[in-house]
Order: sequence, then structure tokens, then C-alpha cells
Amino acid sequence: MVTLALVRDTFREALARKIFWVLFGLSTLMILFFLFLLKIDIVAGASATVSLFGRATNANPNVDRVVRGVYGSIATFLYTFGMFLAVFASSGLVPSVLEPGRIELLLSKPISRAHLLLGRYLGNVLVVSLNSIYLVLGVWIILGVKTGIWSPVFLIAIATTTFIFAVLLSVVVLIGVVLESAAAATMITVALMIISPILAQTTQMMKLLSSEWSRNLWRALYYTFPKVYELGKITLDAIQSGTFAGFTAIWTSALFGIAMLGMALWIFQRRDF
Amino acid sequence: MPVDSEYAIETQDLTKIYRTRWSRREVRAIDGVSLRVRRGTIFGLLGPNGAGKTTFVKTLLSAVRQTNGRALIFGRNSSDPEARRPIGYLPENHRFPTYFTGAGMLDFYASLSGVSATRRKKLIPEHLEMVGLSQWGTMRIGKYSKGMLQRLGLAQALIHSPSILILDEPTDGVDPVGRREIRELLERYESQGVTVFVNSHLLAEVETLCREVAILHKGKVALTGKMHDLTAGKGYRLTATKPSDALAEELRSKATSMATRDGLVDFQFPSRELVNTAMDLLRAQQCEIESLAPTTSTLEEVFVRTVEK
Repeated sequence: MVTLALVRDTFREALARKIFWVLFGLSTLMILFFLFLLKIDIVAGASATVSLFGRATNANPNVDRVVRGVYGSIATFLYTFGMFLAVFASSGLVPSVLEPGRIELLLSKPISRAHLLLGRYLGNVLVVSLNSIYLVLGVWIILGVKTGIWSPVFLIAIATTTFIFAVLLSVVVLIGVVLESAAAATMITVALMIISPILAQTTQMMKLLSSEWSRNLWRALYYTFPKVYELGKITLDAIQSGTFAGFTAIWTSALFGIAMLGMALWIFQRRDF
Repeated sequence: MPVDSEYAIETQDLTKIYRTRWSRREVRAIDGVSLRVRRGTIFGLLGPNGAGKTTFVKTLLSAVRQTNGRALIFGRNSSDPEARRPIGYLPENHRFPTYFTGAGMLDFYASLSGVSATRRKKLIPEHLEMVGLSQWGTMRIGKYSKGMLQRLGLAQALIHSPSILILDEPTDGVDPVGRREIRELLERYESQGVTVFVNSHLLAEVETLCREVAILHKGKVALTGKMHDLTAGKGYRLTATKPSDALAEELRSKATSMATRDGLVDFQFPSRELVNTAMDLLRAQQCEIESLAPTTSTLEEVFVRTVEK
């Protein structure tokens, strides 16, 4: 009951913030786009005529490739702009709970501090995963109905975006608990997202870096930080080729998330309010 | 549920030391506070600004971790979440999220206190009614006035039928009629065996409401006792027409206080002998006695005496 109350409270607060509505609004726009503006006529089973805004393209692409291309663009949107918006929108949800006059009342209730923080974390993950479910499932159903192609591999984007958001949110929570600043939480988390594709160039960097210690440092950073870029790429590859490979990226990112969340809980348990 | 303990609140040598971030200089917010609050009483915690009252309350709620000593709620260590189940708390300068409606806020905090959905459905309208907000339950609390938020905060503190109420400035922002209603409400809860612990700056209110008080000063308990005993500092107030300067000076040296107004002078004497002597001297100078009345100390006098020691 307490967990449910905490999750519901996070939902209420999220929905009271305009930025979450922007996130849902963008997802709705994309769904409407595929529902009304993208028209795919199946010709001879495998090829299609695709019309956008009522104007047909000249080529008759393979319908399967069209659908996979759309899936890929949705996943890319979710991994880049969607993830940034989600982090930006979530960055204030922990500092707001720690405001004087609010936190004392929450701490006076018969719940542990860990329960309180994890409840908020869970609620935040659920809000964002709901948006992923809404967008991915919506597009999947629309394209399925329009083309007859029901490729379940696209649904993996729900799991991977939720997973990587949960990892990034652990950083937001840690910064929120330590600095009580939404701006700092956004900046640091977005910085992690930005350095992810740079760190992912490990093979090239091993050749370029001259000293052993700098190569070791690079490797340490690579294995420590969450692999936002690689998980995005893995999802795209899975959607387009049907193969899913990259469990190292998953478990190292998960470990990072657990460590960040563990640290946030440890600090939160010891703080005075 | 409260365990078997004679005291609702018991602190032993409770100490909280804050350290400044860079210089690590120590500030003792509360320093060895040992206090006992009996069950079913209304207890007032007083003290000047910076005396450590808020830190003390926050330590009881485990929002602040003590450096030394311990705090027990009905015999249970306050750091145990279960110890906080019987507590209803109203913080000072509360900041309730404005996305709540009045009913929504009560629903949320009641569910955190473990009140079932069925019970909440019944209790929420009852408590809104009790604090005079039944018409406002569906309105977002961003629209509430300060006094209304205070009433709602009180309903929040009461909704899970607590055995102890910890109230920080409970009538802050409430109009005089509302204050009286809150006072009557708290007295009703006291008669039902609920312990009420009030932290307030309003001495007159504490004096009217509380049965026992403690005065914190510089982080330590400077005074504690029953209200009746503390304010029973016996004395006599004598008002007479103004005597000669020499006599006024002589009487001033015997009196605990002297004040002049509109050609009259008020003396406060600590004993019957002294007031009789003063009357004889005044009558010998043909001064007229305006009034003579036995007095007790006000809590304000007790407070000022204590913190100025």
C-alpha cells in the first residue's frame, strides 16, 4: 500500500509538470503521424507504395524494410531526444521531495528512508516506461494494421529504453540527494549520455592512445560508465537484423545503476533534514 | 502500536552536534537533553530562537540523527519506523505539494501511515469536516490560504488516529476563532488519552493549552515542570496614586517590579508582609490605594526569567 502510494504520488507530481506532457505530446504526435499521414499500400505482397502527406514516393520499397526503418527511427527518437526529455523532466522529482517542510513530514511516517526513495525511483521509472509503451506499442499496432507485419522484435525497444532510463535515473537520484539540484542532476546525466558514444570508440582509441596507463584509464571509464550509445545501437541492430548481442553493455550498465542507487540510498539514510 | 511505556516521549542525554562544512567547527544544537512527556498530557516546548526546539522535534522524528543519547516514542527507539506509526505530525513552515487537492493530500499521507483504502474513504470527509474544510476537499491546495493549509495540515496529522501529536506552531496563520477551535480540538484529543506535544512561540497560547512545559535554552533544558506550579509564583499587585520620589524609590527596592501610568503606580510584591508594609507607607503619605490583587506569574514572566538567567 505504501509503495503504491509513493508511486501514485510520483505520477501525480510528474503529471503536474508540463515537461512530462511535452514528452507524451510528442509521442502522441508521432502516433498520429503514422496513423493519418503515412500511408502504405501493399503491392504484390512484399513491395509497397509509401505516401507521405498524401504524396507517393517514386520507389517501391520492400515493405518489411520500410517497417523496420520506421521502427529504427522511433527507437532512435526514444534513445536521443526522448531520453533527454525524460531525464530533464525527472531531474526535479527527487529535489522536490527533499524540500524543507515536505521531507520532515514524509520522514515522520512509519516508512524507512530506503522505501521512500525507492518508491519515488520506481514511480519515476514507471512514468517514463509508460511513455515508451505508449509510443512503441502505438506505432507497432498502427504499422501492424497497415502492413500486416507484426514484428515483435520492435517491442524490445520498450525494455531497453526503460532499462537505460532506469540506469540514468540512478544518477539523477544520486545527484538529487547530494546536491538537491535539478539543474546539476540534468547536466551530469546528460554529460554521461554525451560521452557514451565517445567512450564506445574503444577499439580505435586503443590504437590511438600511446601510453598503457591512458589505455587503462580509457578502459576503466568505458567499463564503468553506462553504455547508452551501445544499448541504443544494440536495439537498432536487433530491430533491423533480428539479432541481439551485447550482454556486456547490459550488465556493466546495470552494475553502474545499482552502484549509483546504492550510494544514493547510503547518503540519504545518513542525511539530516 | 504503542508499547507499554509510562511516557509517550522520553529522551536521554540527547545531543546533536552540527559541524560546519569547511572549518568543521562544532555547533551544539541540543546538548544532553533528557525529557519525559507523560502519556495523555498536553506538553509545551518553549525556547528562544536558536534554542534547539526544531532540532529536538526533528530528532524525535528521526529526520535528524542524534550525535549522542537516545529518543524513545512509547519506549521504542525513534529511528525504528514502527516507532513513528503512532505519531501525527504537523511541521512548521510545511510545504504541501500544490498538485494535491485537500482530499488527495489526506489520502496520500493517510496511506503512508497505513490506513486502508476503505477507512480512508470514510475518514477523509470526516476530517475535512472537523477542520472546517468540507467544501474545499476537491480544490487544489494551491488555492488555499495559509490558515486553511494549517487546518488541512492538522487534519493530516490526525487522520490515522495517532496516540501522540507533535505540532510545530499549530495555530500559525490561523485567525482567533480558528485558534480557539484548534485549542478545543486538541483538548478533546487530550481527553481521549492522546498526548499532544506543542512547539510554539505563542506563550499565551501555550499557557492556556499546556499542562506541562519545558523551556530549552542554548540547547539545554533550562526549566521543566507543570504549568500550574511554574505560574504559581505567588505575589501581589498593588496600584496606588504616585508617592514621593523617595518613597517610590524605597518601595521599588522591595518590589519585584514597578511601573507608572496615568498618575498611578503599579508595584509587584512577592509576599504579603511586604505589600502590607508598602500599604502602610503609602497611606502615611496620604496616597490612595487604587487596587490590591494577588497574582500568579505569567508564563511569559517565567520564560523571560529563565532565558535571562
